[in-house]
Amino acid sequence: MAEQERQNQQGEAIPELDRRSFMQEGMASAGAVIATSALRRQIAVAAVPSQMTNKGADQISRRVLGKTGEQVSIIGLGGYHLGTVHSRDMAVRLVQEAVDAGVTFFDNAWEYNDHRSEEWMGLGLQGRRERVFLMSKVCTHGRDKNVAMQQLEESLKRLGTDHLDLWQIHEVIYENDPELHFAKGGVVEALDQAKKQGKVRFVGFTGHKSPVIHLKMLAHDYPFDTVQMPLNCFDATYRSFEQQVLPELQRRGIAVLGMKSLGGDGQPILYGVVRAEEALRYAMSLPVASTICGIDSLDVLRQNVRIAHGFKPMSPQEMQALRDRCRSSSGDGHLELFKTTKKYDGKVGREQHGYPPPEQLPI
Amino acid sequence: MIYRKLGSTGAQVSAIGIGGHHLGDVTTLDEAIQLVHEAIDAGITFFDNAWEYYNGKTETILGRALRDGRRDKVFLMTKVCTHGRSGKLAMQMLEDSLRRYQTDHLDLWQIHGIVYDNDPELAYAKGGVLEAFDQAKKEGKVRFVGFTGHKDPTFHLKMLELGYPFDTVQMPLNPFDSNFHSFERQVLPEVNRRGMAALGMKSMGGTAWGIKAGVVQAEEMLRYAMSLPVATTICGTDSLHVLHQNLRVVHSFQPMTQSEMEALRARCAPTAADGRFEPYKVSLRYDNPMTRMPHGFPFDDTQREVTEMLDQASGPWLVPETTPVTPGR
Repeated sequence: MAEQERQNQQGEAIPELDRRSFMQEGMASAGAVIATSALRRQIAVAAVPSQMTNKGADQISRRVLGKTGEQVSIIGLGGYHLGTVHSRDMAVRLVQEAVDAGVTFFDNAWEYNDHRSEEWMGLGLQGRRERVFLMSKVCTHGRDKNVAMQQLEESLKRLGTDHLDLWQIHEVIYENDPELHFAKGGVVEALDQAKKQGKVRFVGFTGHKSPVIHLKMLAHDYPFDTVQMPLNCFDATYRSFEQQVLPELQRRGIAVLGMKSLGGDGQPILYGVVRAEEALRYAMSLPVASTICGIDSLDVLRQNVRIAHGFKPMSPQEMQALRDRCRSSSGDGHLELFKTTKKYDGKVGREQHGYPPPEQLPI
Repeated sequence: MIYRKLGSTGAQVSAIGIGGHHLGDVTTLDEAIQLVHEAIDAGITFFDNAWEYYNGKTETILGRALRDGRRDKVFLMTKVCTHGRSGKLAMQMLEDSLRRYQTDHLDLWQIHGIVYDNDPELAYAKGGVLEAFDQAKKEGKVRFVGFTGHKDPTFHLKMLELGYPFDTVQMPLNPFDSNFHSFERQVLPEVNRRGMAALGMKSMGGTAWGIKAGVVQAEEMLRYAMSLPVATTICGTDSLHVLHQNLRVVHSFQPMTQSEMEALRARCAPTAADGRFEPYKVSLRYDNPMTRMPHGFPFDDTQREVTEMLDQASGPWLVPETTPVTPGR
């Protein structure tokens, strides 16, 4: 939603939607009926809400985190955006207000914003550490477990704590990542070691690119506690995590962490496809433990907290209607640029893979 | 020239084909015509094209090159570009293509660009393009039918599962592909199992960036693609120089051994993993604007194809020959 505000100030960026009406008529009459019913069949599986501890209209509800026995707030504070806030003091205040509002899930990564994200979150959590479920991500991107353990020490120091509640492998987005992570001496061994040493309680992995790669990670049958992935109302028709990965996680009892509920950059809201609130409510209505939100101002925080207060999941019919509404505009992936472009792919990861930075690619 | 069976059709085609889109990139009309003539003289029979390439310019070029008795020496294909619209529109497009080609029939007519999640459903919808296939075959205007797409093996598999008896299936095949959203691993075996003919394209990865980056060489890329179980490999050929180069590869062609192919795949794996050497699979900028428009997707007016589409003049040496079809009616 921060993006939404920013984008709204740049009115000239709005694409010409008039083109959409051009030539669409014949197509709609030819395919819509079959198309919708087929899609409905595929998605019905995913629309089962998970257990929620409803804490009343002025409280943020919590949900069970898979098989861990933990409970986490249904919205989480994303670490990346915290590091983009204009001042350290504002970031600290944002963290403090989030905790005080009942947000318990805190996301971060070793590599965000040259480590500023972890440092500022650490400052904000002083005196509040025990009230939150603290996560960070390890950014080996194929390097060995020693690098991972070193990064863990740095994350702990910056976050001002002696343990993480959750440590996830960051950005599993390249086809050969699963192989690299599970290689002998790789990051997965660091997960074991860190758990044994009591430095992390639970482990998982994240990625925004392709369900195929997530499934490859799961195929190794490692006991991950959590898996983080993009979940939103545009995902269903383009390389869909909701359809392909979510049911598998439910089957395995692994906690699902949703992200990119607004399509990553809020563009769909700018395009007028959905409103921010319904997009967030859709993501929260899926069987996830928490939906991690990019929050870079008190306004956005308060808006999200308002949506989370007394949250009631959408009905399966409402969710289907929203998917149907998004379908015609989302089928090529242009509303989920983290899947279709390289600009969401982190610098460290690309460097480690020997790939040129996104700005050098004409795609 | 090497010839191969085209699936179960009984027809035979040359092991390399001339790609239609690149005909529009040849510097002059004379050179484009010469290119087609030389290709035919060298034994190439397979000619690819699409109704929408360069607003019909490439079909017109090929038509000019084939008149004067060459039509019957080739296996002539083009693609229909309804992108989800009606079978009636498909038939209008077929008439356009036949007129530009100056012929009364196509050897192969394929659905162009199955690249979006709902394309299979739209193709199979009542009143859709597959009904035009039946009609065109019945009327003797096309001999065989198929479909094409460069985006994701899932969509190809969906087209096959829905059961229409296609004769051919066209797809990107190269050693990068075998490591990334792979048509080779997922679609090629299924196409062959069904006795259909596989048509390979994008043997250089579409943009040849893998070659420019020094990971692979052009010759081994083409040899790899030709060593797969395909009927033909369609090559973007935009100059006589490229034609001669490809012919040299064909003339000395020996299929790669399994271990050579495996070694090449392994060499490509680390750089294939982010898809940048196969941009057509990952990037929105490689979807033809004529494909995006009927779906209502916005397009990027810095993209070359968009400029081409908007440029009604189509080049100084060739006046557009046909009245545009009114879409969606």
